[in-house]
Amino acid sequence: MSIMEYNGGSVVAMVGKDCVAIASDLRLGNQALGISSNFQKIFPVTDRIYLGLPGLATDVTTLRERFRFRVNMYTIKEEREIEPETFAHLVSSTLYEHRFGPYFVEPVMAGLSKTPSGGVKPFIAATDLIGCLNFAKDFVVAGTASSKLFGVAEGLWEPDLEPEDLFETISQTLLNAVDRDAFSGWGCIVHVITKDKVVTRTLKGRMD
Amino acid sequence: MTVSSVFSPPGFNFSNEVRNNFMTEKGLPLPKATSTGTTIVGCLFKDGIVLGADTRATEGPIIADKNCEKIHYITESIRCCGAGTAADTEFTTALISSNMELHGLSTGRKPRVVTAMTMLKQMLFRYQGHVGAALVLGGVDSTGPHLFTIHPHGSTDKLPYVTMGSGSLAAMAVFESGWQPNMEREDALKLVKAAISAGIFNDLGSGSNIDACIITEHHTEMLRNVEMPNERVQKERRYGFRRGTTAWKTENVRNLIVKEEMTFVGGDAMDTT
Amino acid sequence: MNSFAERFSTTSATSQLRKAQALAAEEDDISDAMWGSEAGFGSLAKGVPTFSIPAVADPTAFLRLHTDDHADPNCRIKIQHGTTTLAFRFQGGVIVAVDSRATAGSYVASGTVKKVIEINPYLLGTMAGGAADCQYWETYLGIHCRLHELRNRERISVSAASKYLSNLVYGYKGMGLSMGTMICGWDKTGPAVFYVDSDGTRLKGDLFSVGSGSTFAYGVLDQGYRWDLTDEEAQELGRRSIYAAGHRDAFSGNSCNLYHVKEDGWKFIGNYDIAKMHYDGPGDVPGAPGGGYGYDIRVEGLTSANPPPVTAAA
Repeated sequence: MSIMEYNGGSVVAMVGKDCVAIASDLRLGNQALGISSNFQKIFPVTDRIYLGLPGLATDVTTLRERFRFRVNMYTIKEEREIEPETFAHLVSSTLYEHRFGPYFVEPVMAGLSKTPSGGVKPFIAATDLIGCLNFAKDFVVAGTASSKLFGVAEGLWEPDLEPEDLFETISQTLLNAVDRDAFSGWGCIVHVITKDKVVTRTLKGRMD
Repeated sequence: MTVSSVFSPPGFNFSNEVRNNFMTEKGLPLPKATSTGTTIVGCLFKDGIVLGADTRATEGPIIADKNCEKIHYITESIRCCGAGTAADTEFTTALISSNMELHGLSTGRKPRVVTAMTMLKQMLFRYQGHVGAALVLGGVDSTGPHLFTIHPHGSTDKLPYVTMGSGSLAAMAVFESGWQPNMEREDALKLVKAAISAGIFNDLGSGSNIDACIITEHHTEMLRNVEMPNERVQKERRYGFRRGTTAWKTENVRNLIVKEEMTFVGGDAMDTT
Repeated sequence: MNSFAERFSTTSATSQLRKAQALAAEEDDISDAMWGSEAGFGSLAKGVPTFSIPAVADPTAFLRLHTDDHADPNCRIKIQHGTTTLAFRFQGGVIVAVDSRATAGSYVASGTVKKVIEINPYLLGTMAGGAADCQYWETYLGIHCRLHELRNRERISVSAASKYLSNLVYGYKGMGLSMGTMICGWDKTGPAVFYVDSDGTRLKGDLFSVGSGSTFAYGVLDQGYRWDLTDEEAQELGRRSIYAAGHRDAFSGNSCNLYHVKEDGWKFIGNYDIAKMHYDGPGDVPGAPGGGYGYDIRVEGLTSANPPPVTAAA
């Protein structure tokens, strides 16, 4: 039993065609005992950036507030919204600052960055608990079901999925992975971010 | 709000230390950080240095990143390959890179490789091996080409050809049999590629692609993914799901486009001519 | 040179092999039946079970070193654990209900495990703890129950069968056996349930639940249990209890297997998916109230915090 398994929970993010999706389970546990089936682990940072924080629940809540503070400070100083790449580095340095007394979370970020031509470019990233960034071009996973998510996502993900197809792929990936993990599950939530809207859906998953 | 909560002093923050020690004592082991199992190499040739690295990052038995970058920028003509705890190599090289830039500005000269090496070793020694970075530092300066290895505790070596990481034995075998003084650029690159390949195919901690970097006095060429011997083939089938497969309970759409309509209330529209 | 060194080395592979061969030669009194038929119980042919034991100073500590994931979470052999099983006696017989999840660490290794062991047409055993231990020893118990029938021309009582198992596992006390089981059946005295575990405990009672989810099952069970439950009510209570445990406990779930023991032996009632029970209920079965068991399903639309579902799916 590691600290990551104390409360359980998993997050996955995927890239699609001009869109990104990020999804998590909704379980909050106390080891084997399920406490809540509505514990949010994904938080909006800006309109087009979402941050998933699987790990120790106390640190999830602390870091959520810490990042909110840091993003607000950035917005005030710079007088512009933070870009996903910049935010990823903000997350990374915040975690590395605690290199020798880390927060037990493995953040996953998903967002759309603006291109000079006025379009959008999908962006996903994940870090480990001390802030080592991993920019992937396909998908990133984290949490207690990460090993299972890696397997399913590696099989199901394909490039250039339209938003609706990306929703099916990320949902099926998450649902099937958490069914093989004792510490994740109890319902799922999916956010699909496109240029002009964010669609959030709660899934009908196994509740055991 | 007190000032201390807004201003944080530079350096590491140990505020979670007591809590984390408590949890470890309770029998909850610390989770693994991403590490680069890694094969990294460097060798001297006629006009400069060639550095090489694989691109695999691991988290225990899991491959966390299949195509990460392990050759880090220090200055235009100094680069550094990193093995060990991934976050440590990333942030240590970034910090030294920043300090080298400042050093160059304050001295008005092109900074030397030994300077970077000294900065790195002093930092790593200060942290007594807790910053787990094992580095291969190479570059060309006014005194010629230099190649160093720096170990996590701060010891350094200066050699004509070096390897580090879990694949270092496989790579060194290639260097020991193939390296010669005053090699041509193409031969040196070929040797580095062979050394990294030895690591990729014979060491489980290393894998995926080859990155290389050729540094000469006037030019630095970063060869990202110079060879990709492990590319995945096209999937034979598509595994997409039909739309409507996933049953969902609630939906919420957040519209990001702000629509603005103008409604004139009474009288004529304002004269805007 | 190498062969010379190897001949006198005590740790080389060949010397290990030589040791093993010498050991095997000493044990050539093991009958050939061990390798042949006898349904894998050949090792028991001479009456007293004998198992080969690792050739180390302290075999028990050796086993614990490699299987106890409390002492070492990275141990190589993860024994299946985490379960909910229950059995209770009532006016109409015995209800036996179990979940079907097997976990190895946090990994759900299987969702279709048969945790009720059908010892013979009148006896059921449940499985909690080591799956192999329960399966092996309860099947072994089955052999001896049959021998008892042949010798005495009458069926073994549940009490005697459970005592046989209890005495058997007590002989292995402290050697790493792990089982918590309920032996259920019907004999001359009527319905009977006995709890037997690998510590050697044997308890007679009306109502037991064993496993990591037992506390949750007890909650529902205690609330709904009466001696004069009808068959339908009793079956529903068993299902509902396993559902509760499957829902709350991370190491229990997937589906519920339900058995009912009556005077003429046990009957398999059905397999019920826990996800289906949560959302829609167990289906058209006697005793079910209709509708899902899930809390948020039952209260749906009754509070502003929990509005009615959106009917249109994408």
